[in-house]
Amino acid sequence: MRKIIAASIAILVFVVLAYFFITSSAPIDYRHGGYYENPINHEQYNQSVPQKYLNGTRQDTGASNAVTAIVVEYRGFDTFGEVTVLFTAATGIALLLEAYRRKMERVVESNFIVRIASIVILPFIVVVGTYIFIHGHLTPGGGFPGGAVIASGFLLMLLVKTRKGLNEKNLTITESFAGMTYALIGLLGLVLAQEFLQNYLPLGIFGTVFSAGIIPLIYIAIGFKVGSELSGILDHLKGVHSE
Amino acid sequence: MVMFDVPPVLLIAFPLFFAFLAPLIYYLSKKSIKFYTLGVLILNAILSYFLFFRVMDEGVVYEQLSGFYPPVGILLAVGYLGSILAMLINTLATINYVSFFDEKSHSLRFSMLYMLVTASSTGIVVTGDLFNMFVFFEITAVGSYGLLASKGTKRSYEGAIKYIVLGSIGSSFILLGIATIYGYLKTLNFYDIAARISTMPIEAKLMAFTFLVIGIGVEAEIFPLNGWVPDAYQGASSRVASFMVLGPSKAGIYAIARLIFTLIPFSDGYELALILGALTLLIGELAALNQKDVKRMLAYSSIGQMGLILIALSLHSQIALIAAVFLIVNHALAKSLLFLGSRNYASGILKNPVIGASIFIGALSIIGMPPFPGFWGKWYLIVDMAHNGLWFMISVILFAAIVEAVYYARFLFRGTGNEKVTLLPGEKIAIISLAVLLVIIALFPFLLYNPASNAATSFLGGGP
Repeated sequence: MRKIIAASIAILVFVVLAYFFITSSAPIDYRHGGYYENPINHEQYNQSVPQKYLNGTRQDTGASNAVTAIVVEYRGFDTFGEVTVLFTAATGIALLLEAYRRKMERVVESNFIVRIASIVILPFIVVVGTYIFIHGHLTPGGGFPGGAVIASGFLLMLLVKTRKGLNEKNLTITESFAGMTYALIGLLGLVLAQEFLQNYLPLGIFGTVFSAGIIPLIYIAIGFKVGSELSGILDHLKGVHSE
Repeated sequence: MVMFDVPPVLLIAFPLFFAFLAPLIYYLSKKSIKFYTLGVLILNAILSYFLFFRVMDEGVVYEQLSGFYPPVGILLAVGYLGSILAMLINTLATINYVSFFDEKSHSLRFSMLYMLVTASSTGIVVTGDLFNMFVFFEITAVGSYGLLASKGTKRSYEGAIKYIVLGSIGSSFILLGIATIYGYLKTLNFYDIAARISTMPIEAKLMAFTFLVIGIGVEAEIFPLNGWVPDAYQGASSRVASFMVLGPSKAGIYAIARLIFTLIPFSDGYELALILGALTLLIGELAALNQKDVKRMLAYSSIGQMGLILIALSLHSQIALIAAVFLIVNHALAKSLLFLGSRNYASGILKNPVIGASIFIGALSIIGMPPFPGFWGKWYLIVDMAHNGLWFMISVILFAAIVEAVYYARFLFRGTGNEKVTLLPGEKIAIISLAVLLVIIALFPFLLYNPASNAATSFLGGGP
């Protein structure tokens, strides 16, 4: 039964994606009459990139944090790649350490104060991390630091609950969904707008949480992804069976 | 024939999306993961054919990303060589994946890394943005570390660690080079850099060029940055070594070509590439002559072939560039075939006629025997050199070819030991399909000649 479900999910996703994106790909003239080849001869293409980033951020992306605008919008495809770098590293670590998973022989229980304190602190750590990645387009921070903060909370849990590891399966599934969300947000840009990762949501009121189009969505996905990935790496390095 | 205007970004976004999806499929059904991965690779190969025909139809295909015109946003620019390589990498990765089919404990993580490295190698050859290329280099390198170490033996760890050290240093050098260029020119787009590069002071230009050559050279296996190659290929399983040859190293040599033709073209750069290429060729081939281990010998031979490709690129003429394309295709096909078959050498090739014949074809093509693609590559190269009066280089290439013939003959006919190895059915299928591809190109060289000639024209004009 499960096999049939897995196969049908895979086939369905293949067919839908392939059909949808190939046939509906926007019929733009990508060649632009040679503008790309001679950027220096065309006013629109001949300009200083840093100046454009600083001056155009508000108008183009609606984000009040210029760094976020560059990372997620102007050069969004690079960030998509960078997220994949981290994902690749986590996958590689999992591949290599899977063979070495074993029960720890000597375990030192953490004492009562540490156990209770960790329970009190953990929710705050998670809230701070979440705050950082939700407000990525308004304040310094974003998905990567936010995810790292959340992972530090899980590190605390790992240190306290020495005997048990984290649930690897849940972490992997979270990571998987977050990555797919990011990819789908990008692919939807191809359909709803014209280009991969192009913004297709309203920019909203400048400076509020619900603004800047797809940036907060992407940063939420990145936050979940980075958090679960780093936690997964820590869990693997600990070397305890989590099943 | 049905044609779709495939946006190039799908070649990267689809496999990444499916790599993210893989764990869910795995948790539903553990056995289906290999069929799933094969399906993803086949889908990507089909997309790459459509892209290839589109490029042949309408010339260089551009795609803006995230809704901003370049140089502000990122531009993908798929040229003739890029589309040939995208097709080559995706097709061969699919064929090579078949050889993993018998693995008993087929790992989820391995399949994911395989998809990611295939996607990122494709990304390197379709991108038109320097920093974007760097990002894909990172994915390729990080994924390769995992794949090379995945065998889990001491040797594989040793090779992977060497690659990690060299690869990280190389990545930092690429980043330094990009920072230098961005600092002076305020742009990262390939065309934009090429248009403004003359305004850069010569010292800065040399610095950026050197940094980029050092960084990319690690991936492209250029002397003296290729110390990791023999250990890593020897330690890894033969199928992973085969994958490394057909994917990441081809992407690396493409990046070198973009660097010396489009990005920073100047005559000293060509000369440097010629000298480095000749050194890489000679050292690789001579080192291969002394090897006792088949995979190590093939690794050194692979280094030699990369040197040959670099020589062809450095001559920057139409015919030499066609030769380079032939050599790249030949190396990807024949060397990955030889790596796949390397376990079969043990008993000599005569024990198993079909596989033996396939391996024989691969070896002949690498040595440069007519009518295989390796011959056409070397022939065009020598014709062009004779035209320019580079007699010394001709003698170097012929000498290297003789050395190659000697060590391949030794391994093919004598075998390496008395251990009995039987290839798995998947490996056999992969070996035979690669040999069939070699024979097809040997019988119809114009199939490759026409795109290669277009690629050469485009590269000489400073395009992708």
